[in-house]
Amino acid sequence: MNRPIRMVAGAVFVAFGVLVGAVTYHQVIAGPDYRDDPRNVRVATSQSGRERGTIITADGVVVAESTADPADPLVFRRTYPEGSLYGHTVGYTTFLFGSQGIESSFSDDLVSYRDATISGVLQAILGGDVRPRGLRLTIEHQLQEVAAEALGDQRGAVVALDPTTGAILAMVSTPGFDPNTLTGPGAAEAGQNLESSPAEPLLNRATAASYAPGSTFKIITTAAALEAGIASAGTPFPNPVELELPGSTATISNFNGQACGTGSEVSLATAFSFSCNTIFGMLGMEVGAERLVGTAESFGFNAEVPLEIRSIESSIPPASSFEFDVPGLAQSAIGQRDVLATPLQMALAAAAVANQGEIMVPYLVAEVFNSEGIVEEATEPVVWQRATGPAAAASLAGLMEGVVTSGTGRRASVPGIRIAGKTGTAEVPDSAPHAWFVGFGPVGATAEDPQIAIAVLVESGGDAGEAATGGTVAAPIAQVVFAEFFGIGQE
Amino acid sequence: MTRNAEAALLAAASVVAAMGVALVNFATGSGFDAQVALTFLVFAASFGSVHMALRRWAPEGNPYLFPIAAFLTAIGFTEIYRLDPELASVQRWSMLLAGAVTTAVLLLLRDEGVVMLRRYRYLFLAGAVLLLLLPLLPETWPLYGAEVNGSRLWVRLRLPVGDRALSFQPGEVAKVLLVVFLASYLADRHVAMATTGRHLGPIRLPEPRQLGPILIAAGASFAVLVYQRDLGASLLLFALFITMVFVATGRAAYLVTGMGLVAVGGIFAYQQFDHVQRRVFAWLHPFDDFADAGYQVIQGLFAMGSGSLTGSGLGLGRPDLIPAASTDFIFASVAEEMGFAGSIAVLAAFALLAAAGFGIAIRSRDVFRKFLAFGLTIVIAVQAILILAGVLRLFPVTGITLPFMSYGGSSLLANMVLIALLVRASHGERT
Repeated sequence: MNRPIRMVAGAVFVAFGVLVGAVTYHQVIAGPDYRDDPRNVRVATSQSGRERGTIITADGVVVAESTADPADPLVFRRTYPEGSLYGHTVGYTTFLFGSQGIESSFSDDLVSYRDATISGVLQAILGGDVRPRGLRLTIEHQLQEVAAEALGDQRGAVVALDPTTGAILAMVSTPGFDPNTLTGPGAAEAGQNLESSPAEPLLNRATAASYAPGSTFKIITTAAALEAGIASAGTPFPNPVELELPGSTATISNFNGQACGTGSEVSLATAFSFSCNTIFGMLGMEVGAERLVGTAESFGFNAEVPLEIRSIESSIPPASSFEFDVPGLAQSAIGQRDVLATPLQMALAAAAVANQGEIMVPYLVAEVFNSEGIVEEATEPVVWQRATGPAAAASLAGLMEGVVTSGTGRRASVPGIRIAGKTGTAEVPDSAPHAWFVGFGPVGATAEDPQIAIAVLVESGGDAGEAATGGTVAAPIAQVVFAEFFGIGQE
Repeated sequence: MTRNAEAALLAAASVVAAMGVALVNFATGSGFDAQVALTFLVFAASFGSVHMALRRWAPEGNPYLFPIAAFLTAIGFTEIYRLDPELASVQRWSMLLAGAVTTAVLLLLRDEGVVMLRRYRYLFLAGAVLLLLLPLLPETWPLYGAEVNGSRLWVRLRLPVGDRALSFQPGEVAKVLLVVFLASYLADRHVAMATTGRHLGPIRLPEPRQLGPILIAAGASFAVLVYQRDLGASLLLFALFITMVFVATGRAAYLVTGMGLVAVGGIFAYQQFDHVQRRVFAWLHPFDDFADAGYQVIQGLFAMGSGSLTGSGLGLGRPDLIPAASTDFIFASVAEEMGFAGSIAVLAAFALLAAAGFGIAIRSRDVFRKFLAFGLTIVIAVQAILILAGVLRLFPVTGITLPFMSYGGSSLLANMVLIALLVRASHGERT
């Protein structure tokens, strides 16, 4: 009679075994999926109710803070006093939409350890600091405000940084959104509206969207030529009205449909100042695919820029793809075809020229400080990669200064400061051209001088529409930022 | 002395409950308070009185069953307290009552032991049937049946003062009485049932007359399903009947016939009853109807997944989001706040309980005690497996309580008595 009991008991233990398997699956294997399921409000609830650290700008303006609920001092509400101005960089942490930006990537520092988890209790017993840490950004509030104001309601982005350290001084993407609307009542609806809006307000155009860089890419084409010794500022080039591209019926012409100036020959410096496509198409073919793509990669293309928040790769096709596509090479050399760059990448290109050819790792968070305001960690500037040699960088700086003093970028100039730059008007199918300006100042700075490198992008021409050019739409925005940075009254 | 080990383990379980309450208090901002002491005292009093009774009247009984039960009760109680301190204070009264009743049962059996029960077989059958029928009492009577969540399992007694009513689930007690009846019945009949039968080729079919108990079993559980709409209790009763007859006769034919009946009954029930269809749909496709039918199952999964390895910590998770968090889904609540570690501890405790119970059945020489111990163990094990399988999405949710852990006085009382009978049965074995 014990045999059937043993059989039934065996079946019961098999059933317990299956239950153990199911628990393992649900808690360990599938656990993270359940935890992160957007319909699971747990993580968001626990985070949003807890105190989080304060985030301030370089000059001390509070951009994110937690305030205790007057009715229940244990429940905190996250607010963003500057509204949409820091929506893309600082981001948000919400009940319904998870978290983004610095709020997400520095979550471990920003959360409170004043809880009953094992590590929290241990920390409290050992006298550790369980209060959340705060962050000091590299962004200068005034500069950020001015940049956002200058972009206005045009779609686009401004990235400004210190070329010698990589500290980001301003990062604006428009249209913006107010992260406060994602936390309060009506958040679900507000979030859905933002997600479905055709203007894509949630997209950080400064780091997470890439555009044809147009003529701003000529900085890189020129760097490749200078490095290879193919050309220097004075090198003369033939000056056709139209550049015929070998092996095809395609041609490259200049912006105004005319030759580059009046002479039969034109110097590289003049061609750079007036952004002559014909000359740079020629130069690109002369430099060759290997060197052009290699130089672009030295400037940061085809690699993810190491930044605290999400940034995407800027891209140029591999050299091998141009083997049988010489027209493609010529068009890539003027920043068209399949070349795509983020505004952050182009700001880094300008920064490389300003910093003797070296690109510093860009960063947004300068310091992590504890609840008493004592700095616990400070970001040390680190070299990311060498874009070009110091000699080529110096020549490029001269060429770029010419753009602002006498070329297409005159509207970026500020009195008394040697500004260098490059404009771009990138043709895109089915839309008005993207207007670009990338530049830096001052040229020939000493180590003590404050320096700034900048990229301005105005998507689809902005308010100017089809008539937009980098020089008329983007350069004036850069000028406003330069003027603010150098403390000079406008115009 | 085995009873000293029991005393130490019961004291440890009481401390677990008190510390659990203290942890919940810390998480919610308060600290040690009267609740901690009260919980310790109630655990000590309830299990202590049972322990003293065992010391006196069943000193050789298995010393581990009550400590395991007390451990599960402590884990469940902590989570109930975390979910709703008011429920917890009701549960404390239930524990005191359950401890008293269990002690009284042991007192009643002090001279003859469980063998005494064998004589009153038909009294128990009548009692079980009566209890199962009680919820069908009309709602206008002072003692009346009530429908909760589509199932009619509750009986309420209107109190003369105010609007309050005492409620209990007679089905919980009925299952213990049924085990006693079956064990007694089978102890008398198992020889006849095992040896008679007709041959159909190599297969020996049971005599139709001997199929009677099985058909009665099927009929009774089906009646429970139809009239009380209680899928879980119906399956539990059926599993109890089938396995007990199988053990008594050693004939797989009963098992096979029984499973066939379950399949037919299951298909019929699925086609006839909306609430069964709804449960099956919620099991197979919970995400297709997140907001409604699948909500409870998915909240359970979210809770377990969010708990991960070590859990959110007591009082720091959101088990309150799960419907029926303190009753049917108490396991998901525990899994969220105590994590995988806690879930495995609970599963291991149930498996140990089952192992100890089956061990008692296997070692018993007296058939009645053997069947009784086996049946009692099956009731606990199958009930735990059914509801856990529902929570873990291996089976539709059946809406029965998790023994010792779920909130509910009737369930706690019935299961405490059940364990007491098991321990008493194992005591006789050594003499």
